[in-house]
Amino acid sequence: MSVARSKRFFAIVAVLTMLAMTVTGCGGDNGDTDTGENGATGDMVDIKIGVSSPFTGDVAALGTGIRNGAQLAVEEAAVELAELGINLTMLAVDDAADPRQGVNAANQMVSDPAVVGVVAHLNSGVSIPASEVYNQAGIVQVSPASTNPALTLQGFENVFRVCTIDTVQGSFAAEYAYDVLGLSSVAVIDDSTAYGEGLAAEFAAAFEAKGGDVVSTDKIQLREVDFTALVTNINAASPDFIYFGGMYTEAGLISKQAKEAGFEGPLMGGDGLYTAQYVDIAGAANAEGDFATSIGLPLSEQPKGQEFQAAFEERFPGEAIEAYDTYGYDATMVIVEAIKVVAADLGVDELRTPAGKQAIIEAVAATNFEGVTGLVTFDENGDTLNEAVTPYVVRDGAWVPYTD
Amino acid sequence: MSHPDFSDCRVLIDPAPPRCHASHITDGALVSVEFGIIGQQLVNGLTLGGMYALLALGYTLVYGILLMINFAHAEMFMFGAYVGLFTLQGLAQIEFFTSSGPALLLLYLLTFLIAMVATGILGVIIERFAYRPLRHAPRLAPLISAIGVSLFLQNAALLWISSRSIPFPVLFEVRTFRVAGANISSMQILIIVTTIVLMLILDTFVSRTRLGRAMRATSQDRDAAGLMGVDINRVIALTFFIGPALGGAAGIFSGMYYGNIKYNMGFIPGIKSFTAAVIGGIGNLRGAMLGGFLLGLLESLAAAYISTGYKDVIAFGILIVVLIFKPGGLLGESVTEKV
Repeated sequence: MSVARSKRFFAIVAVLTMLAMTVTGCGGDNGDTDTGENGATGDMVDIKIGVSSPFTGDVAALGTGIRNGAQLAVEEAAVELAELGINLTMLAVDDAADPRQGVNAANQMVSDPAVVGVVAHLNSGVSIPASEVYNQAGIVQVSPASTNPALTLQGFENVFRVCTIDTVQGSFAAEYAYDVLGLSSVAVIDDSTAYGEGLAAEFAAAFEAKGGDVVSTDKIQLREVDFTALVTNINAASPDFIYFGGMYTEAGLISKQAKEAGFEGPLMGGDGLYTAQYVDIAGAANAEGDFATSIGLPLSEQPKGQEFQAAFEERFPGEAIEAYDTYGYDATMVIVEAIKVVAADLGVDELRTPAGKQAIIEAVAATNFEGVTGLVTFDENGDTLNEAVTPYVVRDGAWVPYTD
Repeated sequence: MSHPDFSDCRVLIDPAPPRCHASHITDGALVSVEFGIIGQQLVNGLTLGGMYALLALGYTLVYGILLMINFAHAEMFMFGAYVGLFTLQGLAQIEFFTSSGPALLLLYLLTFLIAMVATGILGVIIERFAYRPLRHAPRLAPLISAIGVSLFLQNAALLWISSRSIPFPVLFEVRTFRVAGANISSMQILIIVTTIVLMLILDTFVSRTRLGRAMRATSQDRDAAGLMGVDINRVIALTFFIGPALGGAAGIFSGMYYGNIKYNMGFIPGIKSFTAAVIGGIGNLRGAMLGGFLLGLLESLAAAYISTGYKDVIAFGILIVVLIFKPGGLLGESVTEKV
């Protein structure tokens, strides 16, 4: 090898090494303590539940909420599991709502032998590619918030979710808008993501089946901010309302720009809008009267909602409870329950083995417990049988459950 | 088309937005409505284009002087918006500024002044530490340095400020005027007018003042200008002050217009403004202004009449066609690259 070539070779190796370090290095500080060879510290067996959702970026409000819920559950369960000889901790990795980062996060979590299950992810577009990683690693995935039907239709036995799916949510929204709110024409917009596209398509199909008129369908791209041309067109067609499949960042901007351009109807969307940040972005005056459907019952009506609220406020003083906090909590508890079952059946030491992880998947499939959000049980695909959807409306600058 | 039913169509007489279906409008009304929509889309495009043009000036100024593409320029947009937000929030605490109309105007003038100067100073600092040491290095080196600065600034805002969108308050009442069927807001008028005023000032500065002449001389031949007694470093620093200051102003406009700012808000406008600068003929100031407005209009019209999903594809497709026939850009001179 000539000097020049060996130099180039060295440069390539150096770059690759640095790349590898960046990839594995991101999101590293999770209070990960060094464990012994067999993963035991003292007499305790170290077990972790992985949590991955966006902690940074545009939808961080919802993602950190999931982590908060999961953290509450882990801390609560750790006391109980300690008596069984299990040292339960949480491994939280940011997926930034980005499919690539989500797959990285998944790889990072499954490569830790102590991780026996993951609560992940928020966005369907992230959950779907990451689910393949969990499937190959034989680790259970319980999504707290990914609502696209495709996630559980891949034939993966390890994939579950505690939230209901867009087919349910989209048709609920269509029925509600047409029958209850008396709105008969709509302009549909989606954000070109798995979640937004899926939800908007389900909604549009159900709305037309009801006899409603879909005057236009448009796609936008994430991170765009200028929708003035789009809302001008919609304004000219003057439908009764706008339905948006996507998250609150873009939805807020569309609501703001539409109302400022003189649009008089409301904007309606799915669970991705159900956060106080939506009102901040749209501006309270513009968001007033906008609708969102969200999965499950309002916190005040959830069976253990008040208990959760009290525990949350004590643990995270000053933070608001977001849409999926209770789902993050329940998804974690699903895994905790399975850990208990497997620990009793096979013994604590088996938990970290592939057989133990497989047993956890089977235990999760048989889940039947009363969570904060209601009874949690799964159908043969891994979808929750709790199909409650609640309509919300912005009143005086805040989301409240809609009642006629 | 179904039977024309215009019982509930009051497009022309009623100032309230029409509550009727577009396909039900008669031909005569359709023409007026269409006119109103076109007018409105033009205003949308001009507002967007104004922001692109302000940002594009920074790319073109730096390229004109240093033949370098300053990829960190997109972050000036973001930095200006954040400084503008914090200044506005800080000054609004003082009761005087919100007490009357003229005081409010003063508040905004001060906000723009402070944010533009701060962004300008950041630009000068970046030039001094990230580009000047590389001025005689191969041309790729400062390019990579610029990308590094861009990543650094974006991540600094992400980690030190917030990863979330921050609402940008508007302290004055935004009125909407209905002109020939189009809804034009006072905000849009403000942005378009201020943009044009800033451009006229810049154009006069570069073509009429001594410093402007020094800039033009440096742009034509840096070494010869140096020999003629022009302080090259000072001219380059000045360029790196003016470009970012204008980019910062565009950032504040974006915050005011869209109501939110975010750590990565500069990325997309940055790419589009750079394109606008190339289309206009990079290095040519009036070209950057023309390119910015043109790109804004193309985007709005493509979204309005073809498809929102494909608006960028269409706008950039047209721009590629323009470049095929005029590789130097619309107002650029096709001179051979000096090496």
